[in-house]
Amino acid sequence: MSLTKRSLAELVGTFLLVYFGAGSAAITLMISQGANPPNPFNIGIGALGGLGDWFAIGMAFAIAITASIYALGRISGAHLNPAVTIALWATKRFPTGDVGPYIGSQLIGAALASFLFAASVGMDAVKIGGLGATAPFPGVSFGQAILAEAIGTFLLMLTIMGVAVDERAPPGFAGLIIGLTVGGIITTTGNIAGASLNPARTFGPYLGDYILDGNNLWHFFPIYIVGPIAGALVAAFVYDYLSKD
Amino acid sequence: MKCYLCALEKTNTDAVAICIVCGMGVCMNHLMREEVEVWEGGYPFPAKKLKRKLPRILCRPCYSVYHEG
Repeated sequence: MSLTKRSLAELVGTFLLVYFGAGSAAITLMISQGANPPNPFNIGIGALGGLGDWFAIGMAFAIAITASIYALGRISGAHLNPAVTIALWATKRFPTGDVGPYIGSQLIGAALASFLFAASVGMDAVKIGGLGATAPFPGVSFGQAILAEAIGTFLLMLTIMGVAVDERAPPGFAGLIIGLTVGGIITTTGNIAGASLNPARTFGPYLGDYILDGNNLWHFFPIYIVGPIAGALVAAFVYDYLSKD
Repeated sequence: MKCYLCALEKTNTDAVAICIVCGMGVCMNHLMREEVEVWEGGYPFPAKKLKRKLPRILCRPCYSVYHEG
């Protein structure tokens, strides 16, 4: 399969992840507009159903990721996430020359998703929903947000290593398990820093918000670069260490 | 082993192969040989088509069912 086709598959997969996943966060904020959040830590996601709101968002991500992995996994590998691509490259499983095109495609796919989500829903998706952008929640520091993103991505990458990369893993389950893992991480840690786990997933909404006159959140972007990449790298190397005889 | 299909036609021909599906012995006239692409790998890596194909020998009845479905 040519690099162009594989990169296009990454673009499509990341587009689906951001359109449906981040889109579900934006829709939740729009639905809860006007509700009275019980405390300042609650920005609207959780005002309707507590952790159930996060569960719904997590499931939207889970379904989009699972579908993308089963649909595109054989074509590009369906990384859908620069942190995953970098971790596979760092452990010498992915060619250096393919890293740039993959990450570029993931970022373009995420940006396209955010713009098309705004086009689908209207400007309320930007003004109220923030296009589902991630940011640290009230009271959460920069460092805490990086830590939460790193630990969340550690679990994601450890799961990828165990159920997909390891040749001893039972075949056929990877897409489902990895999708559900992301859903679980979002449900449990979403209200810390959004549980992005993915620089591209945050890049798309940030760019969309910035260009479409929404919030400028770029000063938070380092959280979603450092945290996920660090977590994925540690997970990949730890798994390799643990799984060796 | 004799060719089963030849035997049905009341002729006596030695089999040169066995159908991989039904196990029938077949002669050169009654076998169907084709080469199947083999793909390796998959998520989280792109699947790769191997350079060499996998040869498959089928009897004519199994071949026709295989290609009908």
